[in-house]
Amino acid sequence: MVRFKHRYLLCEVVSDDPRCRLTLEDRVLGTLVRDTIARVHGTFGAAACSIGFAVRYLNAYTGIVLLRCRKEFYRLVWSALPFITSLENKGHRYPCFLNTLHVGGTIRTCQKFLIQYNRRQLLILLQNCTDEGEREAIQKSVTKNCLLEEESAGEELSDSGGEETAEPME
Amino acid sequence: MASLRFRVTPWSLGELRAVASHPLSMSRFRGRGRGAKRKHPGVSPGRKLRGSSTSWWILAVSKSPGGVRLVRRRAAFLTQGRCDQHWKKMPAPATTYERIVYKNPSEYHYMKVRLEFQDGGVGLTAAQFKQLLISALKDLFGEVDAALPLDVLTYEEKTLSAILRICSSGLVKLWSSLTLLGSYKGKNCAFRVIQVSPFLLALSGNSRELVLN
Repeated sequence: MVRFKHRYLLCEVVSDDPRCRLTLEDRVLGTLVRDTIARVHGTFGAAACSIGFAVRYLNAYTGIVLLRCRKEFYRLVWSALPFITSLENKGHRYPCFLNTLHVGGTIRTCQKFLIQYNRRQLLILLQNCTDEGEREAIQKSVTKNCLLEEESAGEELSDSGGEETAEPME
Repeated sequence: MASLRFRVTPWSLGELRAVASHPLSMSRFRGRGRGAKRKHPGVSPGRKLRGSSTSWWILAVSKSPGGVRLVRRRAAFLTQGRCDQHWKKMPAPATTYERIVYKNPSEYHYMKVRLEFQDGGVGLTAAQFKQLLISALKDLFGEVDAALPLDVLTYEEKTLSAILRICSSGLVKLWSSLTLLGSYKGKNCAFRVIQVSPFLLALSGNSRELVLN
């Protein structure tokens, strides 16, 4: 059928500074990505990518960003993401970079990937954590995830469960 | 026999035999139902027609509205002996030639361009000219395409004309950015593209500049 097809880029904002993620806002990030595309791909790139561009999902705790762009120009957007070097908010500049995790055609596929990714991240956190209290919290959420996985596709529950436990690690 | 009309069609032998073996095509009596599968008395495929001077072979019997038609083929093309004689008359090719086709296109494209200012009298060095080209590319296509391998092969300061070389994938981008370049340091200017070719030798002569007599 005739419709506009999009590509959803699932990215993670990685930074040394823990305050960087908390200052994330969807409008700020959107303008930052648009300016970067204009710098890297010129007027043509800026015009082509900004038609269907939107920041669909933003999680300040884990730094997960979901960007939407048109299918014909998603490569222009994707190639401009490595050129983002710093996030500027309220006069503070934090060096960071965007790590692209997944490119999907729909939000649902990106969500599925995100759930699996969060589960794997929990296990990695469990290995690396040092504090006993945190270790217990992570173990609890891991078992909760496994139970939920066996029960049904309770996607939203496990997603939020994964994010809550990631917070004390920051 | 006299009521039968003949028609020759260039069918292959296998097709004709397939048609002939089909029960419907054998039926002479139309409208009598599908059960009428009577063969023609005396007419069946693979049988020679009697009473004709040339050897006609009935290869198939096909059904048609006007009546039953027979599809036939001259035996001369089928028999081995006559075929050999036919082929011997054609002369064999004297030389065999080999045609080599290169599929890889030229890596570079060459453009002959001229810069025109609205009010004349502006001089540009070669470095400034190249800087102008790169800034035009950067304006339209960004930093990534401003880094395309672009070379100014020749430059004449008097006429402001140059020969540029660009890789083939970047030709469209360069040409479109030259088209959209409007001004240099506040003065209106335009690029005139005189000639574009994947071969440098083609730029040496131009039939438009040919002076007759």
